[in-house]
Amino acid sequence: MQQILLTAVVAVGALFLGLTVLIVVTKAWREGRDRWRAARRREMEPRILRWVHGDGTSLQVALGGVTRGERTVVESVLLDHVQRVRGMERDRLARALDELGCVERYRRGLQSGRWWTRAASAERLGMAGAVRAARDLATMLEDPVPEVRIRAAAALGAMGGEAAVRPLILALDEPSRWSTIRIADILTGMGQPVLEELVGVFPRMTVQGKLAAIDILGRVRSVEVVDWLRARLLNDHRDVRARACHALGAIGDADSAPAVAQMLRDPEWPVRAMSAKALGRLRYQGAIPGLALAVRDPEWWVRANAAEALRRMGEPGLAALETLLDDPDNFARHQAVLMLQEAGVVDQRIEALAGPDGPERRRAESMLAKLAATGQVGRLRELEVVHPDPAVRRALSLLRERAAEPAGVPS
Amino acid sequence: MSARILVADDDRLTARFLHSLLSEKGYEVAVADDGEQALELVGTHHPDLILSDMVMPYLDGMDLLRALRGDVRHARIPIILLSLKDREEDIVAGLEGGADDYVVKPFNARELLVRVRKLLSRAGPS
Repeated sequence: MQQILLTAVVAVGALFLGLTVLIVVTKAWREGRDRWRAARRREMEPRILRWVHGDGTSLQVALGGVTRGERTVVESVLLDHVQRVRGMERDRLARALDELGCVERYRRGLQSGRWWTRAASAERLGMAGAVRAARDLATMLEDPVPEVRIRAAAALGAMGGEAAVRPLILALDEPSRWSTIRIADILTGMGQPVLEELVGVFPRMTVQGKLAAIDILGRVRSVEVVDWLRARLLNDHRDVRARACHALGAIGDADSAPAVAQMLRDPEWPVRAMSAKALGRLRYQGAIPGLALAVRDPEWWVRANAAEALRRMGEPGLAALETLLDDPDNFARHQAVLMLQEAGVVDQRIEALAGPDGPERRRAESMLAKLAATGQVGRLRELEVVHPDPAVRRALSLLRERAAEPAGVPS
Repeated sequence: MSARILVADDDRLTARFLHSLLSEKGYEVAVADDGEQALELVGTHHPDLILSDMVMPYLDGMDLLRALRGDVRHARIPIILLSLKDREEDIVAGLEGGADDYVVKPFNARELLVRVRKLLSRAGPS
């Protein structure tokens, strides 16, 4: 019994000792390898960069051959620098990665059973600008793991060119909204070259894909697609019409403003809301009467966007907001006060109370009386206490008192 | 005598790349890891041109720019800002802040060399 116990203790001790030795040896080997790599990197990096800045054809020739161990060092130098430059230097770094056999290894990595290997391989193919892997990357857009799909999309985006654009556009139909947003960002970053393809594929896209496509067109801000976007204002789907308004506003094409203004009369409120927002961006003064009506819209979002658009129009828009201060519609009055305060008009008029008697002061008194009658008197009350001019404080107090009298109470 | 260039960038890889690129073209290059170190090196290295990153610890590119432009001894040193920030407002802010040029990262090395050469020739012989 004692013998068995002793044997067991010795066996466990030997096992722990063995494990400890294994851990120490592995750690020492790893540290030794990392130190060797760091030393090789310090020695090789300047030579690699000299080759990058020069015009020699082969990196391997310039380095006098690359051993298997050095391959990892050279690859990490190339990957680190390829992300930091553009143009000819980038092409040379990418070509060197290919020469080392990295591109083929990354392509094989896309078939790995481990998702993180597939994701890293996709990312590196993008860095290496491996156009011949575009088809493989396009296949990865259907990978079951979202991270792999996104890395593949980013790689295609970095690669650019026709081979990359089409699969990315088709991926906009991806059911995950998160992926769609990321892919839309990538396509937007690619800019002008995606426009024609987006317009061509549009009729075959799902509604979600169509909306993302219109957003991209607006964000790329190319006047080339303005006519096409205007035609989308007649689309059967309300969200397509709304996004088209938004995109036209983002592009800022003044000629589109009358068409966008028409959309203030659309039966669907999201379209009216986006039309108002776009008109504010376009600063189309022809839309002021329509926007003034839209401030009374039954939908809060339309009213808010219309009031904001009037504020952005400058003097004529602010004048229209002033006329809304005694509007029978309570919501319109509320929005008008908010915007006039935000634009600093209320403060300007209050300052005019301190000025000499004349048209300017009377205009200020009339506007402030209407404002007091709305009941939104927070700012008036504040300045009634803190304004440095006692005459202004008195005038504000009087305005509020008059507004509070029964006849002045708004209906 | 070759022109002296000071590279200020906390990203060591970019700094090493720029060092290699500019040395290869015959410039004398000094590298600073942050704006504070860059300011010290301006006093000792007397650069003819500075390539500075915008975002750096302690003293960023804009602070460095302000410090140099506010000092009569260094106010005329041409400065190229390098930055990942590619928005119009960032570029305008950099140029309005006194930078002579603004280059967005990732940069085109050859294009950068032309800008460096032009600024150096405009500033006169070193």
